[in-house]
Amino acid sequence: MKIFKMRKGFTLVEIIIVCGIATVFLGTAIMLFTNFRRGYSRSEGTAILMQEGALFVARLRTDLNNAVLIPDSPGGSSTQLNAGTDSLNFMVYNSHDAKAQPVVYRYLASDIGGSLFRREGTDNERELIKGHVASLTWQTNLERFIVPGSTSSGTMRLSIGLDIQLRIKSGSEKPFALKTSIFPARLNRQLNNP
Amino acid sequence: MNNTQRHGLSMIEITISIGILALIMLPVFMTFSTGNRNMQLTEAEFRAHTAALELMEQTISLPFKQIKTGEYDDREIKDGQPFAQGPALFKITQTDNLWRELKVEDIKRDNKIVFKKVTVTIKFAAAPNSDRIREFFMKTLVANENL
Repeated sequence: MKIFKMRKGFTLVEIIIVCGIATVFLGTAIMLFTNFRRGYSRSEGTAILMQEGALFVARLRTDLNNAVLIPDSPGGSSTQLNAGTDSLNFMVYNSHDAKAQPVVYRYLASDIGGSLFRREGTDNERELIKGHVASLTWQTNLERFIVPGSTSSGTMRLSIGLDIQLRIKSGSEKPFALKTSIFPARLNRQLNNP
Repeated sequence: MNNTQRHGLSMIEITISIGILALIMLPVFMTFSTGNRNMQLTEAEFRAHTAALELMEQTISLPFKQIKTGEYDDREIKDGQPFAQGPALFKITQTDNLWRELKVEDIKRDNKIVFKKVTVTIKFAAAPNSDRIREFFMKTLVANENL
Protein backbone atom coordinates (compact mmCIF):
# COMPACT_ATOMS: atom_id res chain seq x y z
CA MET A 1 0.00 0.00 0.00
CA LYS A 2 1.33 3.34 -1.00
CA ILE A 3 0.98 6.28 1.34
CA PHE A 4 0.52 9.69 -0.31
CA LYS A 5 1.52 12.50 1.97
CA MET A 6 0.00 15.64 0.47
CA ARG A 7 0.54 19.11 1.88
CA LYS A 8 -2.59 21.18 1.61
CA GLY A 9 -2.65 24.91 2.39
CA PHE A 10 -0.02 26.86 4.32
CA THR A 11 1.38 26.38 7.74
CA LEU A 12 0.70 28.98 10.44
CA VAL A 13 4.34 30.14 10.35
CA GLU A 14 4.18 30.77 6.60
CA ILE A 15 0.95 32.74 6.92
CA ILE A 16 2.36 34.85 9.77
CA ILE A 17 5.56 35.62 7.85
CA VAL A 18 3.70 36.55 4.67
CA CYS A 19 1.20 38.67 6.62
CA GLY A 20 4.10 40.41 8.38
CA ILE A 21 5.90 41.20 5.12
CA ALA A 22 2.68 42.35 3.48
CA THR A 23 1.88 44.60 6.47
CA VAL A 24 5.33 46.21 6.44
CA PHE A 25 5.18 46.70 2.68
CA LEU A 26 1.62 48.04 2.62
CA GLY A 27 2.28 50.25 5.65
CA THR A 28 5.27 51.83 3.93
CA ALA A 29 3.35 52.29 0.69
CA ILE A 30 0.36 53.86 2.48
CA MET A 31 2.64 56.17 4.48
CA LEU A 32 4.50 57.28 1.36
CA PHE A 33 1.25 57.82 -0.51
CA THR A 34 -0.28 59.84 2.35
CA ASN A 35 2.83 62.01 2.54
CA PHE A 36 2.72 62.46 -1.20
CA ARG A 37 -0.98 63.46 -1.11
CA ARG A 38 -0.28 66.00 1.64
CA GLY A 39 2.79 67.37 -0.17
CA TYR A 40 1.00 67.45 -3.50
CA SER A 41 -1.98 69.31 -2.07
CA ARG A 42 0.36 71.86 -0.42
CA SER A 43 2.43 72.27 -3.60
CA GLU A 44 -0.69 72.64 -5.71
CA GLY A 45 -1.99 75.41 -3.43
CA THR A 46 1.39 77.15 -3.41
CA ALA A 47 1.59 76.86 -7.21
CA ILE A 48 -1.87 78.44 -7.57
CA LEU A 49 -0.87 81.34 -5.30
CA MET A 50 2.40 81.82 -7.16
CA GLN A 51 0.70 81.75 -10.55
CA GLU A 52 -1.93 84.27 -9.47
CA GLY A 53 0.71 86.54 -7.94
CA ALA A 54 3.00 86.30 -10.96
CA LEU A 55 0.18 87.03 -13.43
CA PHE A 56 -0.99 90.03 -11.41
CA VAL A 57 2.52 91.52 -11.06
CA ALA A 58 3.26 90.95 -14.77
CA ARG A 59 -0.08 92.54 -15.77
CA LEU A 60 0.48 95.55 -13.50
CA ARG A 61 4.07 95.98 -14.69
CA THR A 62 3.00 95.93 -18.36
CA ASP A 63 0.19 98.41 -17.69
CA LEU A 64 2.47 100.76 -15.76
CA ASN A 65 5.16 100.62 -18.42
CA ASN A 66 2.54 101.69 -20.99
CA ALA A 67 1.00 104.31 -18.68
CA VAL A 68 0.96 107.88 -20.01
CA LEU A 69 0.14 111.31 -18.65
CA ILE A 70 -2.82 113.01 -20.28
CA PRO A 71 -2.82 116.80 -19.92
CA ASP A 72 -5.81 117.94 -17.88
CA SER A 73 -8.54 119.29 -20.07
CA PRO A 74 -9.72 122.76 -19.05
CA GLY A 75 -12.19 122.31 -16.22
CA GLY A 76 -11.87 118.54 -16.50
CA SER A 77 -10.87 116.10 -13.83
CA SER A 78 -7.31 115.01 -13.21
CA THR A 79 -6.27 112.02 -15.28
CA GLN A 80 -2.91 111.27 -13.68
CA LEU A 81 -1.77 108.23 -11.73
CA ASN A 82 -3.77 107.94 -8.52
CA ALA A 83 -3.06 105.40 -5.80
CA GLY A 84 -5.39 104.87 -2.86
CA THR A 85 -5.57 102.06 -0.32
CA ASP A 86 -8.14 100.17 -2.38
CA SER A 87 -7.59 101.43 -5.91
CA LEU A 88 -4.89 102.34 -8.39
CA ASN A 89 -5.82 104.11 -11.59
CA PHE A 90 -3.93 105.62 -14.50
CA MET A 91 -4.14 106.09 -18.26
CA VAL A 92 -2.64 103.46 -20.54
CA TYR A 93 -1.84 103.90 -24.21
CA ASN A 94 -3.60 101.23 -26.23
CA SER A 95 -1.78 100.73 -29.52
CA HIS A 96 -4.69 98.71 -30.95
CA ASP A 97 -7.16 101.58 -30.62
CA ALA A 98 -4.42 104.25 -30.87
CA LYS A 99 -5.73 106.10 -27.82
CA ALA A 100 -5.24 106.29 -24.08
CA GLN A 101 -7.76 104.49 -21.88
CA PRO A 102 -8.19 104.48 -18.10
CA VAL A 103 -7.09 101.35 -16.28
CA VAL A 104 -8.39 100.79 -12.76
CA TYR A 105 -7.09 98.18 -10.32
CA ARG A 106 -9.44 97.66 -7.37
CA TYR A 107 -8.63 95.82 -4.16
CA LEU A 108 -11.51 94.46 -2.13
CA ALA A 109 -10.18 93.53 1.31
CA SER A 110 -11.83 90.77 3.32
CA ASP A 111 -11.08 88.79 6.49
CA ILE A 112 -11.39 85.52 4.63
CA GLY A 113 -9.16 86.72 1.75
CA GLY A 114 -9.34 89.79 -0.43
CA SER A 115 -9.86 89.98 -4.19
CA LEU A 116 -8.28 92.02 -6.95
CA PHE A 117 -10.05 93.38 -10.00
CA ARG A 118 -8.93 95.17 -13.17
CA ARG A 119 -10.94 97.24 -15.58
CA GLU A 120 -9.72 98.80 -18.83
CA GLY A 121 -11.68 101.50 -20.59
CA THR A 122 -15.35 100.66 -20.88
CA ASP A 123 -14.79 96.89 -20.62
CA ASN A 124 -16.30 94.90 -17.80
CA GLU A 125 -14.28 94.57 -14.61
CA ARG A 126 -12.32 91.31 -14.47
CA GLU A 127 -11.33 89.45 -11.36
CA LEU A 128 -7.58 88.81 -11.29
CA ILE A 129 -7.31 87.16 -7.86
CA LYS A 130 -10.30 85.72 -6.07
CA GLY A 131 -10.27 85.56 -2.27
CA HIS A 132 -6.55 84.92 -1.79
CA VAL A 133 -5.13 88.37 -1.03
CA ALA A 134 -4.01 88.54 2.60
CA SER A 135 -2.55 92.05 2.28
CA LEU A 136 -1.76 94.54 -0.47
CA THR A 137 -0.19 97.98 -0.56
CA TRP A 138 0.79 100.09 -3.55
CA GLN A 139 2.55 103.34 -2.92
CA THR A 140 3.60 105.97 -5.42
CA ASN A 141 6.85 107.82 -4.87
CA LEU A 142 7.69 110.93 -6.87
CA GLU A 143 11.24 112.20 -6.47
CA ARG A 144 13.02 115.19 -7.94
CA PHE A 145 16.78 115.16 -7.88
CA ILE A 146 19.41 117.49 -9.27
CA VAL A 147 22.75 116.23 -10.51
CA PRO A 148 25.50 118.29 -8.76
CA GLY A 149 26.87 121.01 -11.04
CA SER A 150 23.87 120.83 -13.33
CA THR A 151 21.99 123.97 -14.28
CA SER A 152 18.79 122.10 -15.09
CA SER A 153 15.77 122.03 -12.80
CA GLY A 154 16.49 118.39 -12.07
CA THR A 155 15.12 115.01 -12.99
CA MET A 156 11.82 113.60 -11.82
CA ARG A 157 11.30 109.94 -11.16
CA LEU A 158 8.11 108.14 -10.36
CA SER A 159 8.03 104.65 -8.88
CA ILE A 160 5.37 102.39 -7.44
CA GLY A 161 6.26 100.27 -4.42
CA LEU A 162 4.24 97.06 -4.40
CA ASP A 163 3.89 94.73 -1.44
CA ILE A 164 1.51 91.78 -1.81
CA GLN A 165 0.88 88.66 0.22
CA LEU A 166 -1.35 85.83 -0.97
CA ARG A 167 -2.68 83.06 1.23
CA ILE A 168 -5.23 80.26 1.13
CA LYS A 169 -7.10 80.44 4.44
CA SER A 170 -8.17 76.82 4.78
CA GLY A 171 -4.96 75.04 3.81
CA SER A 172 -1.44 74.65 5.13
CA GLU A 173 0.06 76.11 1.94
CA LYS A 174 3.06 78.39 2.20
CA PRO A 175 1.92 82.00 1.70
CA PHE A 176 3.27 83.76 -1.36
CA ALA A 177 4.78 87.18 -0.64
CA LEU A 178 6.32 89.60 -3.09
CA LYS A 179 7.78 93.05 -2.61
CA THR A 180 9.12 95.04 -5.55
CA SER A 181 9.31 98.50 -7.12
CA ILE A 182 8.09 99.35 -10.59
CA PHE A 183 9.48 102.31 -12.56
CA PRO A 184 7.01 103.23 -15.35
CA ALA A 185 9.22 104.02 -18.36
CA ARG A 186 6.80 106.14 -20.45
CA LEU A 187 5.55 108.15 -17.47
CA ASN A 188 9.09 108.97 -16.38
CA ARG A 189 10.05 109.99 -19.92
CA GLN A 190 6.98 112.24 -20.12
CA LEU A 191 7.65 113.76 -16.71
CA ASN A 192 11.12 114.83 -17.83
CA ASN A 193 10.23 115.78 -21.41
CA PRO A 194 6.75 117.27 -21.21
CA MET B 1 6.94 6.71 -4.63
CA ASN B 2 7.70 10.11 -3.26
CA ASN B 3 5.13 12.50 -4.67
CA THR B 4 6.06 15.90 -3.32
CA GLN B 5 4.01 18.80 -4.70
CA ARG B 6 4.81 22.42 -4.10
CA HIS B 7 1.91 24.70 -3.32
CA GLY B 8 2.19 28.48 -2.98
CA LEU B 9 5.34 30.58 -3.11
CA SER B 10 8.59 30.16 -1.29
CA MET B 11 10.07 32.83 0.99
CA ILE B 12 12.77 33.66 -1.57
CA GLU B 13 10.18 34.17 -4.30
CA ILE B 14 8.13 36.51 -2.11
CA THR B 15 11.24 38.49 -1.12
CA ILE B 16 12.37 38.83 -4.73
CA SER B 17 8.92 39.90 -5.92
CA ILE B 18 8.68 42.52 -3.16
CA GLY B 19 12.14 43.76 -4.12
CA ILE B 20 11.13 44.07 -7.77
CA LEU B 21 7.90 45.85 -6.80
CA ALA B 22 9.87 48.25 -4.58
CA LEU B 23 12.25 48.99 -7.47
CA ILE B 24 9.29 49.72 -9.74
CA MET B 25 7.62 51.99 -7.16
CA LEU B 26 10.81 53.92 -6.33
CA PRO B 27 10.89 56.03 -9.54
CA VAL B 28 7.16 56.74 -9.07
CA PHE B 29 7.76 58.20 -5.61
CA MET B 30 10.90 59.94 -6.87
CA THR B 31 8.73 61.72 -9.46
CA PHE B 32 6.64 63.21 -6.65
CA SER B 33 9.63 64.79 -4.94
CA THR B 34 10.98 66.01 -8.30
CA GLY B 35 7.67 67.79 -8.90
CA ASN B 36 8.02 69.57 -5.55
CA ARG B 37 11.62 70.55 -6.32
CA ASN B 38 10.57 71.96 -9.70
CA MET B 39 7.91 74.05 -7.94
CA GLN B 40 10.57 75.58 -5.68
CA LEU B 41 12.78 76.24 -8.71
CA THR B 42 9.93 77.96 -10.56
CA GLU B 43 9.33 80.22 -7.56
CA ALA B 44 13.05 81.02 -7.28
CA GLU B 45 13.19 81.81 -11.03
CA PHE B 46 10.19 84.11 -10.75
CA ARG B 47 11.78 85.98 -7.83
CA ALA B 48 15.05 86.28 -9.78
CA HIS B 49 13.16 87.64 -12.80
CA THR B 50 11.31 90.19 -10.63
CA ALA B 51 14.59 91.28 -8.99
CA ALA B 52 16.25 91.64 -12.41
CA LEU B 53 13.38 93.79 -13.71
CA GLU B 54 13.46 95.97 -10.60
CA LEU B 55 17.19 96.64 -10.95
CA MET B 56 17.05 97.09 -14.72
CA GLU B 57 14.05 99.47 -14.67
CA GLN B 58 15.62 101.50 -11.89
CA THR B 59 18.99 101.73 -13.63
CA ILE B 60 17.57 102.85 -16.96
CA SER B 61 15.31 105.41 -15.24
CA LEU B 62 18.44 107.25 -14.04
CA PRO B 63 19.77 110.24 -16.03
CA PHE B 64 22.26 108.99 -18.63
CA LYS B 65 25.25 110.56 -16.85
CA GLN B 66 24.39 108.86 -13.60
CA ILE B 67 24.56 105.36 -15.11
CA LYS B 68 28.18 104.79 -14.16
CA THR B 69 30.29 102.57 -16.38
CA GLY B 70 31.84 99.58 -14.62
CA GLU B 71 31.11 96.28 -12.96
CA TYR B 72 29.36 96.17 -9.61
CA ASP B 73 28.55 93.36 -7.21
CA ASP B 74 25.60 93.04 -4.82
CA ARG B 75 27.09 95.27 -2.10
CA GLU B 76 28.03 98.06 -4.52
CA ILE B 77 24.51 98.46 -5.94
CA LYS B 78 22.90 99.49 -2.64
CA ASP B 79 22.09 103.15 -1.97
CA GLY B 80 25.17 105.18 -1.05
CA GLN B 81 27.57 102.55 -2.46
CA PRO B 82 29.82 103.05 -5.55
CA PHE B 83 27.10 102.59 -8.20
CA ALA B 84 24.34 104.37 -6.28
CA GLN B 85 25.95 107.44 -4.73
CA GLY B 86 23.03 109.66 -5.61
CA PRO B 87 21.50 112.07 -6.04
CA ALA B 88 18.71 109.64 -6.94
CA LEU B 89 17.69 107.30 -4.14
CA PHE B 90 18.42 103.71 -5.11
CA LYS B 91 15.79 101.31 -3.79
CA ILE B 92 16.52 97.61 -3.91
CA THR B 93 14.18 95.13 -2.26
CA GLN B 94 16.08 92.77 0.00
CA THR B 95 15.56 89.14 -1.01
CA ASP B 96 17.02 86.02 0.61
CA ASN B 97 19.12 83.55 -1.40
CA LEU B 98 19.59 86.01 -4.25
CA TRP B 99 22.62 88.08 -5.39
CA ARG B 100 22.72 90.84 -8.00
CA GLU B 101 25.49 91.92 -10.35
CA LEU B 102 25.46 94.91 -12.67
CA LYS B 103 27.69 95.63 -15.66
CA VAL B 104 27.57 98.91 -17.58
CA GLU B 105 29.59 99.25 -20.80
CA ASP B 106 30.03 102.30 -23.05
CA ILE B 107 29.25 102.03 -26.75
CA LYS B 108 31.05 104.81 -28.58
CA ARG B 109 30.90 106.32 -32.04
CA ASP B 110 33.23 109.15 -33.12
CA ASN B 111 34.61 109.17 -29.58
CA LYS B 112 31.20 109.96 -28.12
CA ILE B 113 29.18 107.63 -25.90
CA VAL B 114 25.99 106.95 -27.85
CA PHE B 115 24.70 104.02 -25.82
CA LYS B 116 25.30 102.28 -22.55
CA LYS B 117 24.88 98.54 -22.49
CA VAL B 118 23.39 97.45 -19.18
CA THR B 119 23.64 93.81 -18.12
CA VAL B 120 21.89 92.64 -14.95
CA THR B 121 22.85 89.22 -13.62
CA ILE B 122 20.96 87.51 -10.83
CA LYS B 123 22.41 84.51 -9.05
CA PHE B 124 19.93 82.57 -6.98
CA ALA B 125 19.61 79.36 -4.99
CA ALA B 126 17.46 76.76 -6.77
CA ALA B 127 15.60 76.12 -3.48
CA PRO B 128 15.71 77.79 -0.04
CA ASN B 129 19.13 77.18 1.56
CA SER B 130 20.20 75.03 -1.39
CA ASP B 131 23.82 74.92 -2.59
CA ARG B 132 22.73 74.72 -6.23
CA ILE B 133 23.23 78.23 -7.62
CA ARG B 134 21.59 79.26 -10.88
CA GLU B 135 22.09 82.34 -12.99
CA PHE B 136 19.73 84.59 -14.86
CA PHE B 137 20.70 87.66 -16.89
CA MET B 138 19.03 90.47 -18.76
CA LYS B 139 20.53 93.04 -21.17
CA THR B 140 19.39 96.34 -22.63
CA LEU B 141 20.76 99.47 -24.31
CA VAL B 142 20.22 103.00 -22.98
CA ALA B 143 20.49 105.79 -25.55
CA ASN B 144 22.31 109.02 -24.74
CA GLU B 145 19.52 111.62 -24.81
CA ASN B 146 22.06 114.44 -24.51
CA LEU B 147 23.42 113.99 -28.05
